[in-house]
Amino acid sequence: MADMTASASKKTKESKEPVEIKQKITMKELKAQRVLIIGSILFVIYGFIFYYLPLGGWIMAFQDYKARTGLLHSPFVGLAKFKFLFSDATFLRTIINTLGMGILNLVTSFIMAILFAILLNEMKHTGTKKVVQTISYLPHFLSWIIVTGILHDALSSSGIVNEIMMNLHIVDKPYNFFMQPKIFWFIVAFANLWKETGWNAIIYLAAITAIDPALYEAAAIDGAGRWDKIWHITLPGIKPTIMILLLMNVGNVLNAGFEVQYILGNGIVQDWSQTIDIYVLKWGVSQNDFSMGTAAGIFKSVVSIIIIVIANEIAKRSGEERLF
Amino acid sequence: MKSRRLLSMLCATVMVTSAVTACAPTADSGATTGSTAVDTGDTTVDDTGDTGADTGDTGADTSATEGKEYSDDEIVNWTFFGGMPGSEKNDGNEVMEIIAKKTGVRVKETWLTGQTVEEAVGTIVASGDYPTFIDGGDGMMQLYDAGALIPWDDYIEKYPNIKELYSPAEWDRFRMDDGHIYWANQFGNTYGESKQTTHNDEAFWIQVKVLEWANYPKVETLDDYFKLLEDYAAAHPDDGVIPYTCLCEDWRYFCLENAPEFLDGYPNDGSVIVDTSSGTPTIVDYNTTPTAKMYFSKLNEEYKKGIVDSEFATQTYDEYIAKLSTGNVLGMCDQWWDFAYTVNDVFKQQGLDTQGCNYVPLGLVAKPGMEQMWHTYGDTQNVASGLGVTTACEDPDRAFAFINQLLDQDIHNLRFWGVEGVDYNVDENGLFFRTEDMRMKCADTEYKASHLCDYSYFPQWGGTSRDGKNAMTPTEQTSEFFDSLAEPLVKCFEAYGVTTYPEFIGSSKTKTTGVWFPMYSYSNNMTSSTEGGIAWTKMGECKHKWLPQIVMADNFDSAWEDYMKAYNACNPQAFLDEMQTELDRRVAAAEAAGE
Repeated sequence: MADMTASASKKTKESKEPVEIKQKITMKELKAQRVLIIGSILFVIYGFIFYYLPLGGWIMAFQDYKARTGLLHSPFVGLAKFKFLFSDATFLRTIINTLGMGILNLVTSFIMAILFAILLNEMKHTGTKKVVQTISYLPHFLSWIIVTGILHDALSSSGIVNEIMMNLHIVDKPYNFFMQPKIFWFIVAFANLWKETGWNAIIYLAAITAIDPALYEAAAIDGAGRWDKIWHITLPGIKPTIMILLLMNVGNVLNAGFEVQYILGNGIVQDWSQTIDIYVLKWGVSQNDFSMGTAAGIFKSVVSIIIIVIANEIAKRSGEERLF
Repeated sequence: MKSRRLLSMLCATVMVTSAVTACAPTADSGATTGSTAVDTGDTTVDDTGDTGADTGDTGADTSATEGKEYSDDEIVNWTFFGGMPGSEKNDGNEVMEIIAKKTGVRVKETWLTGQTVEEAVGTIVASGDYPTFIDGGDGMMQLYDAGALIPWDDYIEKYPNIKELYSPAEWDRFRMDDGHIYWANQFGNTYGESKQTTHNDEAFWIQVKVLEWANYPKVETLDDYFKLLEDYAAAHPDDGVIPYTCLCEDWRYFCLENAPEFLDGYPNDGSVIVDTSSGTPTIVDYNTTPTAKMYFSKLNEEYKKGIVDSEFATQTYDEYIAKLSTGNVLGMCDQWWDFAYTVNDVFKQQGLDTQGCNYVPLGLVAKPGMEQMWHTYGDTQNVASGLGVTTACEDPDRAFAFINQLLDQDIHNLRFWGVEGVDYNVDENGLFFRTEDMRMKCADTEYKASHLCDYSYFPQWGGTSRDGKNAMTPTEQTSEFFDSLAEPLVKCFEAYGVTTYPEFIGSSKTKTTGVWFPMYSYSNNMTSSTEGGIAWTKMGECKHKWLPQIVMADNFDSAWEDYMKAYNACNPQAFLDEMQTELDRRVAAAEAAGE
């Protein structure tokens, strides 16, 4: 709910702005609002330093950058780095992997979080509900290193999963999960689900609590069952939240992850496991070719921006909640 | 939304503060350097008087060339990053404190964890937050390119112990294209007579108990080796043995990858074979030789038989070491330093050494009767990496003085032998020896972390001590080596009529390494700035992906063909051409130097 009010207030501010500009800004007014102005200037400075200044580094992508010569004296090479990127089959493969895992993560985590929030909400016993909720979001606070460690152990040939499968006679000998390129994406998606579902559900739960209870009572009087209530009241009630979160997550599709793939990957699955971020690390950092890393990074940012603009446009056209 | 913003602000604050604190100069350095010179005059007199008594100045009195003892506020705290895994020392490590008192320098060492060395060094370069000393391993070029290292040139002349490490010609090989020397390799220097007892190189290793069981047979080829493993495994079906495992995680996949060069009888040039049969040294790619195909097809065959560990392709280094430490793995191909430090200590602690679990090296060849060069005698000078002093060091002169002091005999003894009377004793002839109790303690990880401090990646000597009697390190002390050998090893050595590991592997003494050796010192430092460097990286990726697959392939021949197709698509010729150019350059340089 908090985000809804935030976006609402933003909207009203925007619509008022043209009017405000016509008003004369007097010194008196500035003085009266000096605390607010100073406060916001701090944030503008912060944003400028940490979000806009670093963009200057993008110049590297068009240079043959060497740390010794620095940004100012490295020779310019035009689009050579980009040309190399797009002629490199490995990079094209990483784009596919990044998109694939990103979309898979987005879809599964999105659906599961909503489902989980609704199910939790239907739970009548508050004690159990609280316990389940707490337990389910705890993994969010574990670092990926630990999560991947657990996963690696659980899926290893002497791990719990294989143990169970062997005892149930589903397989005769241990199944090596990490030697199967085709299921790597799903292992990553599963890891994401396990870690983040509980956490992601919190926001939906908050949105659900804000729905007017009178609606449910009215529906009950009209003879609506549980399914009807979920379908006709809960879901439409949290639809704006869903749309906003979906838009924000769509922009994150290319951030399909780094740690999971980096740690769980190995030679055999590398064609399916490497993401753009790993590629940047490999060529940019370890081959000391910062230019190439930057070029790949720019590509990622640009694609992300395009995706988010398109998604926003679609939302706008269909009259839904939107980001900007 | 609010919570997210709060969280991000929190994150930002944490990042800013950590960045600020990380940039702050190391505590209590700087200030001291200026004052030491002034202080020396009066501190020497009263300081040595009382500290000598309370630290129990441990017998090193004989070499009291430096009377000065540094007090706590004079000691600078410096840092070292090692681009290889290592074990950190506890704060207040006893030997570290003794060395700090003698040299005025305390170095906190950190090591590589969970990434490749290029990534770690790349991150350090990108952040600009350098340690005082660094060994960047394969990432040394990155440090040089970033201008992060201080030239050694002036200090080599100034400090005799450093100068002594290499001959002028050898020092010249460290020179970079700008004519300066930026690092010195710490290893492979023998003082006086060589006392080498270990085979600190690659080999096919096998547990002593297997040889004992088979009544010490002659094992010469891959076929012999795997036959032996098969037989032993068949005779011990219930012991949970893993006949053969193979590490192929990340950069350590050399365990799987580079055996063909040795099997063909060549020494460890690392990335290529140098063939001299035609008279002029020529680069040959060992990845595509008939021997390579034979080797992988053998592994494939053994994998199908269940002799090769079914998890080999996905195991991590830690899992691999854990597996070896159980004593269940009969054999593997690896570098000694990659497993021995950890695994041998565990065997000793667990008493597995008395059950014949220790590994001995086998110098296998492709065809019976061939000579091999798994072991190379004499010193190998690896110019690709070494210890560098970074620009983050506020007093380079003192840093080099420290390196110089670490090579003083008394401090060198402290580093490798420990404290006299505690970690070793001296007999009436002046020979150092350890009791069984001392050996046990020195194999204990906890004790090593809190008590011993060898500054293992600072320059050091092998061979004979300056006293002319002892070895520079305990592992090379002949008497110590024999006394510490477990019973099954002694029996095995006797059965084969040898006394040391190098003799055991029995590499050719007539064949010598060329002036270009080792070629890996060039390929290790290639970057994507050249065609060959790009090809080298892609070849690595390709091999990483394909080699485990061809070992596990159902149809080896078709898998091998696919692999060769993928391999040739990486343009290996560009890499080989650059290696040939470097080889020619080295040969020409050696001729010019009159070697």
